[in-house]
Amino acid sequence: MRIIEQRASIEVCTEAGWEAYDLLTEQPLSDEDIEALRHLGGSFLYLRQLRKPFFKLEAHNFILKGVRGDCFFRMAVHREHLAELDRVRNTFM
Amino acid sequence: MIYLNNAASSWPKPEIVRKTAAQALEALPVGQYRSSVSSDAEDILHDTRTRLGILLGVREPDRIFFSSGATESLNLILQGLQIPAAQIITTVTEHNSVLRPLYNLTGDAGQPVLLPCDRDGYVPPEALEKEAAGGKARVFVMNHCSNVTGSLQDAAAFGEIAHRYGLLFVLDCAQSAGCLPIEGDDWGVDALAFTGHKSLLGVQGTGGFWLRRGLRLRPLLYGGTGRDSVRLRYEDTMPPDYEAGTRNAPGIAALGAAASFLISRGLPHIAAAERTLRAYATEILSGLPRLRLLSVDGRPHGPVLSMVSDLLSPADLAYILQNSYGIVTRAGLQCAPLVHGAIGSGAAGTLRISFSPFTQESEIDALADALREILS
Repeated sequence: MRIIEQRASIEVCTEAGWEAYDLLTEQPLSDEDIEALRHLGGSFLYLRQLRKPFFKLEAHNFILKGVRGDCFFRMAVHREHLAELDRVRNTFM
Repeated sequence: MIYLNNAASSWPKPEIVRKTAAQALEALPVGQYRSSVSSDAEDILHDTRTRLGILLGVREPDRIFFSSGATESLNLILQGLQIPAAQIITTVTEHNSVLRPLYNLTGDAGQPVLLPCDRDGYVPPEALEKEAAGGKARVFVMNHCSNVTGSLQDAAAFGEIAHRYGLLFVLDCAQSAGCLPIEGDDWGVDALAFTGHKSLLGVQGTGGFWLRRGLRLRPLLYGGTGRDSVRLRYEDTMPPDYEAGTRNAPGIAALGAAASFLISRGLPHIAAAERTLRAYATEILSGLPRLRLLSVDGRPHGPVLSMVSDLLSPADLAYILQNSYGIVTRAGLQCAPLVHGAIGSGAAGTLRISFSPFTQESEIDALADALREILS
């Protein structure tokens, strides 16, 4: 998986001090891509049984979520920990 | 795409609304008091006020003033009254369009008195009676219909109590205007705020407020009005202007068309249809595993239904519904932060669905199928 672009999410209602970004990927997310995200740490949920499987990784200061087959996943990060955004993006650049 | 987020902004709009907005952009500009180019100008504004007066139950529609929506209207009312927050009673069901103005009144570090609600989002009228009897309050501000639970407060009962104790009664109808009958005059409302883009089926950036004759606010904005231009200072004996600057005439024209659409369909008919839809959604969603519906106790509601799950957060459910099933809902606190403690939804808020006259039962069925698949 390679992240090619970062965009501020259109869902801007950041009610608890968190900001959201969409990280665009070169190819549609595969099972392997999603599993690779686990290495970032935190609790991991993957609902494979859904028509379009959903995953969520929840770390202390950020959350990743997305759907297999999409060319993006979302990262919510507390605005005091925006360095996490760089860490995730750089891991898959 | 299935759109169940009408409590945020309604979609789709009636064809007449879309056409009217487009025609207004093609036509020569409306210039309120400023130009004779368009002879229809005053008609558009006057006709829209008249139609809104029918929907809001007020007999003096010329006391309706246009704004960008309920938030601007409520700011104008709550700041314009120039009454300290400590002398204002409100409720925990309020939207931030009421709470934030009250907690940020200029030069005022006080806080409003908050009435509680029960687990279904209803405020007991006795709570107002008890606070009002203390004699310190001068204003009561209430959300008519909760944008979180859909709970519909008994505005007539609250209006009677407010006036018995000499309180001004401010009613926030952002969520009820256009989908529920409103009787502003009969309920003793002194100021009523509404927005155009929700159940009134107009476009975003439109709305306004109605103000009882004789009640005076300090305007938030001063500027050109197209009349009395030599007057620079507004003395207390002069009537204030609440519509400084250029109005959103295409939006107001579209709002007028939307109001006509709603009047012709009949508010009682619309309210009944949306009540039936909410009951249908309640019935088929209540059987789903790991899902708890909020405020489904049979009392009056607007077209809003909230729910929580012990499996996934509201934000996750909304994300999956939108990205995997093409169903648009709303998750979170819905900008009404205080009500969640009372209804047991907590910091993550709720997953909310909301209806319009165009919502179909088949769309509720699709939502139920999706949630069943996700939560099973």
